[in-house]
This record gives sequence, structure tokens and C-alpha cells, in this order.
Amino acid sequence: MRLLVIEDNDELADLLARGLKSAGYDSDRFSTVGEARTALATTSYAALILDLGLPDGDGLAVLRELRHRNDSTPVLLLTARGGLQDKVTGLRDGADDYLVKPFALEELIARLEAQLRRPGQLLGNVLSIGNLEFDTRNRQCAIDGVSHVFSARETAVLEILMRSKGRVVSKRQVEDSIFGLSEEVGSNAIEVYVHRLRKQLIEKGAKAQVHTIRGVGYLITEEK
Amino acid sequence: MPHFQSILSRIVILHVIAVVITSVAMSLALSWLLNRATDNLHNEAMRRQANLVASYLKLDSAGKLTINLPAELLGFYSQPYGRYVYAVLDDKGKAILSSKIDHSSIFPKRSDQPVAFEKAYHGDAVISGASLRKTIDGTDFWIQTGEDLTNRDVLTDDITAGFFRDAGWITLPILLLLVVIDIAIFRRALFPLKQASAIAQQIGPSRTDLRLPVSDIPREIRPLMMAVNLALDRLDEGFRVQREFTADAAHELRTPLSVLRTRVDVMADQNIAKQFYGDIEGMSRLVSQLLEVAEVETAVLHPTEMADLHAICTDVAGFIAPITLAQGKSVALVGYDGPVVVNGNAEMLSRAIRNLAENAITHTPPQTVVEFDLDKSGVVSVRDFGPGIPDAEHDLIFQRFWRRDRNRVGSTGLGLSIVRRIVELHAAKISVTNTAEGGARFSIAFRGASAPAS
Repeated sequence: MRLLVIEDNDELADLLARGLKSAGYDSDRFSTVGEARTALATTSYAALILDLGLPDGDGLAVLRELRHRNDSTPVLLLTARGGLQDKVTGLRDGADDYLVKPFALEELIARLEAQLRRPGQLLGNVLSIGNLEFDTRNRQCAIDGVSHVFSARETAVLEILMRSKGRVVSKRQVEDSIFGLSEEVGSNAIEVYVHRLRKQLIEKGAKAQVHTIRGVGYLITEEK
Repeated sequence: MPHFQSILSRIVILHVIAVVITSVAMSLALSWLLNRATDNLHNEAMRRQANLVASYLKLDSAGKLTINLPAELLGFYSQPYGRYVYAVLDDKGKAILSSKIDHSSIFPKRSDQPVAFEKAYHGDAVISGASLRKTIDGTDFWIQTGEDLTNRDVLTDDITAGFFRDAGWITLPILLLLVVIDIAIFRRALFPLKQASAIAQQIGPSRTDLRLPVSDIPREIRPLMMAVNLALDRLDEGFRVQREFTADAAHELRTPLSVLRTRVDVMADQNIAKQFYGDIEGMSRLVSQLLEVAEVETAVLHPTEMADLHAICTDVAGFIAPITLAQGKSVALVGYDGPVVVNGNAEMLSRAIRNLAENAITHTPPQTVVEFDLDKSGVVSVRDFGPGIPDAEHDLIFQRFWRRDRNRVGSTGLGLSIVRRIVELHAAKISVTNTAEGGARFSIAFRGASAPAS
């Protein structure tokens, strides 16, 4: 599994490659739009880390060409601008995520892995938080290596929370994951499932905590 | 001199005053001219009468002057008619002949000029007439004729005396009509200016491309308009330069910080690395906020741009929730649970609300919640359960680089000034109050919010 890094600052690109390597990812690095095109034409990459300001043009051009070919390779944008419009434009043009420089390498890898674990992407196996593991292939859950069985709906809630580790999942997203878009949901049904899941995780000694962000959604974090 | 706000009212008022003065002056002048004309007519008539009387004078053989007026002239100068008189004076001014009852002269003999026009008062009567020198057989005589003005020719008298009443008043309405016509002309001349004003009203940070039309503008005002357009060009250029500078500065500052951050991230000894993180984060935050300040300073809000306050609050609350939880605090979104749409830029409003929330989280103790409260009327509040803000600091906190504690890590003193600028840009109002529980509550009130059914 190779990653493509398009970054024109040599130092940063080298450091990124080193960081990715130590996290277990090999990467090719290039610094222009032209080189990026050539690389994408000859090699299949698991994901792209794309800087927006490149010497021979805008990184967004690469992104647009990719999406135009119906290529859904995850693209994570890096930008030094962080301007009012840049983010909106990047996401509208089909970027999967967006990081403003300077960023923590840890954050970059977490965001990258979140993309790689999406259905249909290459890193689809085990999600983990603390001593809690979730295998997305067979939807099995384990705490300290011991398998535990949750109800189908609790499992669905756990999966969507773990896929968005460290980030808030809206109430609507949780609803959709459980019931699909067509079914009507009772107003407090989600509360009930989250409550049950939380209770069981505590009972079973999971070092992961499900937080309710009132009016916003839910979030799973590692317990400290 | 009163100060006029409008050129038109200045013209109307001053013009009306001028018209009143002019019409009075004109009436007086016309009346004077009319009087003079009748006087001239009268004098000419008197001179002719004197000539006529002179033609009937004769010296008899004894050298005595006699007059032999025909019958109609005798009636003319008769006492019962009483209107006209004549007299003939000798060289010494003594009356030789006179139609007057006392046979006296009409006017004293004054001049040696061949013709003179005189006026004399006899009791109530005003006699005006001519005095004519006539030489008969080598002797000079003065023939005087007069008319009693109190008993004057009826026609001329009426025209003169009734001038004001009958004709003089007409000048006022005519001149006022002129004023009305002038106003119409002037308004027409000002019309292109009105159009230009309408365009000028649309010029703002979001429409810096508009320029005032110069082609239809009167030549007197055109230089002003062209100067304004040039000033707009310079402003536009200033905005552009600053925007570009901000973007360049962002790149130049963030790239080395990014290299530094990643270098520390990949350091073998993470114990040493930890010592750098705080500094790098503080520096990154300062750079980000300085760039935000610069960016919102030149930011524009398009009049048609809409933003949903509920979606923004949800995003911001979700964005800061992980950091908040990590500090043992929490966030919550309360109040109206549906879209509240205002004219605004979602990204800028996110920054404003995020800055308020981050500020609240910094100043709030663990185990408390920071609440986003949305009201359907377009009011977003961020309230905390911290110590609140002393009344004396309510205005200070929005000033750039103001910090209560200058040594506090991670505080740049810029967050609230960014909030204030974004709020101003959205023509909204920000207020800060302390709640009954002691925490601070920042509220941003937007205008023209609508809450469409979701």
C-alpha cells in the first residue's frame, strides 16, 4: 500500500515521508502538478496527500482531474492558506479531508487512516480505541482480546462511532446508520441505543467512553 | 445666511426671495417710467399750448400786448372749466395777461431759457406747466401755461394711479412661474447625479468593481466623479494588495512552522519533543489568529450569501468537542433545533463562534459545560459557567491584544477582536453579560433572520 505525497517544500516532504514510514506507510513524493499527473497515470495509490500551493499550479487541478475520471482514491488536502474560501472549494471539488498547516503528524495519520478504513478502501479491518477493538469484516467486537456480542443496532452505533474516532458523529448520521434513510425514528430511540451501548461498555470493562454532545451528536474517546 | 442641505431648496428659497424683491422693484420702476412718460406728455402739451397762446399775442400801436383767443380756447381757459390757465409775463416777471382770476403769474419767472417746465402750489391745487420765451417785435415775453394736476386728464391719471392694482401684480406670478420652470430644468440637470448616487450606494467591500458613470454627468461635476472613480480604483487596489499579502504571508509563515512541527513529530526522543509542542502550538495559534485578523479585515460579505446558524453551531460544537472533552469539560447546543438562516458567510461566522467558544472553554473550570444557545430570531449565544467578566472589561476585551493575564499560555488577545470584526461585517450586534450563575454570556444578534421549516 503506497501513498502519494505532493508537497513542494522538500524538507516538509522528507519529514512527512519519514513520519509515514514509521507509521507503516510507504510513500512516493513529488513536488509539482506535472509530476503528480505522471505518478497517478503509472501507479495506483491508496491515498493522496496533496498540497494546494504548488510551483506549477494549484493542487486542486490534480484533485479535479482525479474525480473527473471517477477515481475515488481518498485525497487529503494540505494548505498553508486556510483562507475563508479555500476549505469550501477544496471539499466541493471532492477532497475527503482538509488540514491547515502546521498540523500534527499524529492528526494527519489519524485522518488518513479514517479515510483508508472507509468501506471500499484498503485499510478495512480492525478499528481500535484503548482495549476495544472492532473488526469491520465480521462486525465482531473484542475487549482485551475477548469477544463480546452486542445487538445489531448497538453494533451499528459502535461501528459508526469507531470509524469516526475522536470526532463527533451527528445524531442524524447515527440514525441513518441504524435505520436507513426511509424509516422514521422515534425521537429518543437513538438516546436509548447509545445509553445501552455505553452501559455495556462500562460493564465489560472497555477503556473507551461514549460521550453525548447535547444538541450535536456523539463521540467515542479513549478513557484516561 | 441659513445653511441649506439641498441645492434645490437653496435655489427655490433664494429664487423666491429674489422674485419678490425683483417684482416689487420692477413695479416701482415701471410705475416711475409711466409717471415720467405721462409727465413728458403733459409737458409737451403745455409747451404746445404756450406756443398756441403765443400765436394769438399781438402788440398794438401803443406797444401794449393784447391777446385775441378764439372762442374754443377762451372756454378752455375759462374759470368755470378751471383746469387750464395761461399767463404772459414781461421781462421783469410781472404778469401782463393772465387767465387766472387774480391776473397773477402762474410761476415766478426764473430762467432765461427759451422753454422751462415748472410746478407751483396754489392752495390745494398743484399747477404744473411750461414757461416759454417769445420775442414779439423785439421784446421778450414769457408765456406760461399750466394744468391743475388735482384735476388732471382722467385717462392718464387712472393708468398711472392704478398701475399697481391693475398691472403691477402680474410680475409676481410670472416670475414665480419662472421659478417653477427653473426648478424643472434644474431637476432634469441633476437626474444623472441621482442615477450615479444609486450606483454609488451599491459600492462597498463586496462590490469594489462598480464605478460611477461619467458620460451623462454635467461637465461641472464630472471632475468630481472622475476623482471619486480614481479613488475607488486605489481602494480596490489596496484591498487586492492586502488580500494577496495575507495569502502570501500565510504561506510563508505556516510552511516553516509546519516543517518544525513535523520535525519534532518524527524526533526519536519524544520526551524532548514534548517540550516543544506547547511553544509550537502557541506560535501556530498566534500566526493563525494574526492571519485571521488580516483576512477578516479585508473580507467581504456578498449581499446574497446565506448561512444557517444552526448548522454553523453544530459544526463548531462538533469541532471543539474533542478538545473540550480532553480538558474534562463539555459543550452542548441548546435552544431552537432547526435552520436559522441569515445573510452571512458560513466560514467567517464559524470562526466568530469558534473563537467565542474557545474563549469560553479557556476561562471555564473543569466539569462545566459551554453552551451554544440559538434563538429562532437570529441570536446566537455562547455561555459558560466560569467566573464571568468584570463590567469594567466589557469593552476592553474586544480590543486587539488585550489580555487580562499577559503570561497566560495560548492567549493571543486577538480572538475577540476577530469576533467583533466579523460581527461588524455582518451588521450584527454583539453583547456580553454575566449570567445569574456567574458565567459570561456572549450574544450575537443578527438582523433579518428567517427560520424555514426544515
